[in-house]
Amino acid sequence: MNALIKLELARALRNKKFLFFSVLYPSIIYLIFSSSAGSSGKVYGTDLTVATYLMVSMASFGALTAVLMGNSERIAKERESGWVRQLRLTPLPGRGYVLAKTASAAVVSLPAIVMVFAVAAGIKDVRLDAWQWLALTGVIWAGSLVFAALGVAIGYLASGDAVRPITMIVYFGLSLLGGLWMPSAGFPQWLQDIAQWLPTHAYAALGRAIEQSQAPHTQDIAVLAVSFVLFAGGAAWLYRKDTLKA
Amino acid sequence: MTTTAAPATTPVVGFDQVTKTYGSVRAVDGLSLRLYPGETVALLGPNGAGKSTTLDLLLGLKHADSGSVSLFGTGPREAIVAGRVGAMLQSGGLMDGVTVAELVKLACSLHPRPYPVSEVLARAGIAQIADRKVDKLSGGQAQRVRFALATAGDSDLIILDEPTTGMDVSARQAFWATMREQADRGRTVLFATHYLEEADAIADRVLVLHRGRLLADGTAAEIKAKAGARRISFDLEGGIEQDALRGLPFLTSLDVSGQTVRIQSADADATVHALYGLGLYPRNLEVAGLGLEQAFVAITEAEEARQS
Repeated sequence: MNALIKLELARALRNKKFLFFSVLYPSIIYLIFSSSAGSSGKVYGTDLTVATYLMVSMASFGALTAVLMGNSERIAKERESGWVRQLRLTPLPGRGYVLAKTASAAVVSLPAIVMVFAVAAGIKDVRLDAWQWLALTGVIWAGSLVFAALGVAIGYLASGDAVRPITMIVYFGLSLLGGLWMPSAGFPQWLQDIAQWLPTHAYAALGRAIEQSQAPHTQDIAVLAVSFVLFAGGAAWLYRKDTLKA
Repeated sequence: MTTTAAPATTPVVGFDQVTKTYGSVRAVDGLSLRLYPGETVALLGPNGAGKSTTLDLLLGLKHADSGSVSLFGTGPREAIVAGRVGAMLQSGGLMDGVTVAELVKLACSLHPRPYPVSEVLARAGIAQIADRKVDKLSGGQAQRVRFALATAGDSDLIILDEPTTGMDVSARQAFWATMREQADRGRTVLFATHYLEEADAIADRVLVLHRGRLLADGTAAEIKAKAGARRISFDLEGGIEQDALRGLPFLTSLDVSGQTVRIQSADADATVHALYGLGLYPRNLEVAGLGLEQAFVAITEAEEARQS
């Protein structure tokens, strides 16, 4: 299985467009957003500066991009081309393909997170304790597995022309409503009531709790855990269904 | 039905009363067969005969509605995990964005008993395109890469579904030379093909599949014999009494045009002997074997006539 992970990784690193979108793009958006907002002000309802607040949003957004965008489309395409079938004729265990896809996405998402942190610390003077930097990296990286599972589920659910639009809608919907692009505190109340149950909202909230040296909210952990079970369970179910008809 | 002499070993492939239906269509209908080590077997049949479904069932890509499928006495998945089977399917795609060498290297590292990558590349005849991206290959080249993936390690059974599709004549010949080499190493080879001359030239056992059932099982020569395998033609001067000719032994078809008579016979020697026995004096007598293609058409037509 390691051989497949290595090859998936080599391919991902060769794909300049994908690398730009998943590694550099979040940092660029971060710079644009934090500059236009004026970085010294505090974000409403928190004691975080805009630059600090947005750093977690954009690191989460970058990880989301890396794990969601690449996988769903690739899986759908490779199911259609018959590569998934070809792999089933090898000793590779059935879940090996999905694990390799997830692992290679995780390897790409790490530099995306670190890049946002580096830009925030270097250009926007965001200062945190060492444990906070480490905890943030760990939590955002580990949390991205929830969305990796979602990407796999979409890859097995949709096919052909439908994959890209579905992925895009899910991607932008989750990013926007989850408050990764702008603080959800600015949303109308009814939208906030919905947004707080989105996994992306919980995802960024965990990071912000670390920034504020607070204990994470139980609701956020629960939302992420339930989402992971739903997405991974859905992916496993769709995968098995696909195996039977392939 | 001719059965090949069965050695007292575990069959490489065992199908026992296997049935697979799609809706109301019986793709495979009560199929039973055994393949033994070292055989080179052609699976022959028109489109929709159930060849691909049979191979899918064999490899565990599909599950039978009833009956049992075994590979080396175990289930298909166990045999694949043990590296005993290498397979190349028509529907098998390739990973894009990587080079031919990288893909072959992957197949080698997944196999429990791999060959060196360079050896696999050379044997499949793709050493010179090893650095090319997989998405930039021609149809024939892609087939060779699939073949390399199927032969990346020391497997006991190699399964090929229409392996020479997309290859030109010389590539096809080179391919079968490679394939024979595999068979000579004592491997069991099972291939489905549309090119009937390939079955005739390469296989030592031919299975004729039609509407999901096994119509014939034997050597290419036996299949031809089964179809009324010899063609006899001659000229007769004076009137031709068709009724008398129709009474000839072992006759399977009769065609008279002008003075020329064409006969297909299951036993040409006996038919010609009887022809002289009628007191006739055939001129320009020729006896020739049927190609496997004609034999195949004859068998499937006979089956269709029997069913309607």
